[in-house]
Amino acid sequence: MATLFTLNLVTPRAVASLPDSTKGSPIKVPYLNQPWKRILSPLESRRMQVRAAPDRLSEKVEQSIKEAQEACSDDPASGECVAAWDEVEELSAAASHARDRLKDNDPLENYCQDNPETDECKTYDN
Amino acid sequence: MAVCSAYTTQSLNSTCSISTPAKTHLGFHQKQVVFYRRSSKRGGSGSGSGSSSGPCVITCSAGDSQTVVIGLAADSGCGKSTFMRRLTSVFGGAAEPPKGGNPDSNTLISDMTTVICLDDYHSLDRTGRKEKGVTALDPRANDFDLMYEQVKAIKSGVAVDKPIYNHVTGLLDPPELIKPPKILVIEGLHPMFDERVRDLLDFSIYLDISNEVKFAWKIQRDMAERGHSLESIKASIEARKPDFDAYIDPQKKYADAVIEVLPTELIPDDNEGKVLRVRLIMKEGVKHFSPVYLFDEGSTISWIPCGRKLTCSYPGIKFHYGPDTYFGNEVSILEMDGQFDRLDELIYVESHLSNISTKFYGEVTQQMLKHADFPGSNNGTGLFQTIVGLKIRDLYEQITSSKTAAPLEATKA
Repeated sequence: MATLFTLNLVTPRAVASLPDSTKGSPIKVPYLNQPWKRILSPLESRRMQVRAAPDRLSEKVEQSIKEAQEACSDDPASGECVAAWDEVEELSAAASHARDRLKDNDPLENYCQDNPETDECKTYDN
Repeated sequence: MAVCSAYTTQSLNSTCSISTPAKTHLGFHQKQVVFYRRSSKRGGSGSGSGSSSGPCVITCSAGDSQTVVIGLAADSGCGKSTFMRRLTSVFGGAAEPPKGGNPDSNTLISDMTTVICLDDYHSLDRTGRKEKGVTALDPRANDFDLMYEQVKAIKSGVAVDKPIYNHVTGLLDPPELIKPPKILVIEGLHPMFDERVRDLLDFSIYLDISNEVKFAWKIQRDMAERGHSLESIKASIEARKPDFDAYIDPQKKYADAVIEVLPTELIPDDNEGKVLRVRLIMKEGVKHFSPVYLFDEGSTISWIPCGRKLTCSYPGIKFHYGPDTYFGNEVSILEMDGQFDRLDELIYVESHLSNISTKFYGEVTQQMLKHADFPGSNNGTGLFQTIVGLKIRDLYEQITSSKTAAPLEATKA
């Protein structure tokens, strides 16, 4: 979430600088100033999306732990301290669910669990 | 409200074509009372009130007013999602988030069941709670009026627009439509906190995890996360404890079934938390629910299945069954301490349990094997969760058959 905010702040500045630099030449170089906007290949974009969710959450968890420790250093019994640790708990749970969701994404395994007798799924042990 | 009887709906399936589309296409309950004559010489139509006497009038109300509502309470990180997956698997099919909706939705939908996470009824989002210094466990952070209204609506067959609490962003997202399912499961921290919601539940379960086990489970869950350390996990549990003890724990006295997870007694001074002692506390006298028992209902039995017929590895398995009182209620407690190492241990145990509501011999074992990768599949947590799932299926079938068998009384009333 923090990274998204910085992106939004940078974009207007980059756009504003473009017309100045390209006064004479109408050559459009949209992705030079904004490299994050480059078109990702489908495989790459999917991989990045898959990595992004738990990564983002992991960063949030880390950040929330630091905040909770700060909040509790003043007064361990205060509402802020308790609420901060509750947030840590919530984010940890969300991160663990995201990790679990990543694990069950193999379509063949899922299919074979329900249909072990099909040709693709038969196992020959002896 | 007119209730459709089983024989009439089934015999009307070919003729009563108006009612079903009304429910699915329009998404809300239309209390149409359609009169049909069996002789089919005259078509029947139009809304009417009440029922007329006479042998050939069939009243059919659109919409399924037979939603069975189950409540599941537990602290976060305590196995609710595992339980949900086992429960939906007992009914068949996999539960998935609603297709085409918010990807961060907490709702799970399968053919028979819809699982609603009660976090969606938070009245304060993460920033709001931080400002007020309130945890999610605190009733002040939850909108119980909305919870009651919507659960009541779904129970009576009306679709609702339920808010979504996004766990990733911590914000309340725009609502999603929930259509009344056959079985509605509400899982979360406070399903039995509000008295009105409690009265709507047909069956309620509480997962009671002891502090040592909770600590061990949370360590397992969180140690893979950067930033977490033993101290931070401990601090998090300690900080939430006062609110948990004040608001969540008292719900266990209202539950029809409590699954209590404790450290094992078989290994002295065990602090790894791998082997567990699990107790299934079943309230007596609950409608449509007959407790599971060992050998003889109502007597006290201690049973070690390992011996001549069955060889178990260390530390073995120990069962206990007996009547007791729990917060002033009469209960039966079935307890298992130890772990299953092999399939035949599981099937041996299953063959000696009674009243487990299986449809065929070995169903519990089959369900446990199907989800052998779920946590708790080799100990009492998985076993009792599966058994409770089968009891809920039995409860559902009893409720639907009794509701369909008594339409005349309802219409006359």
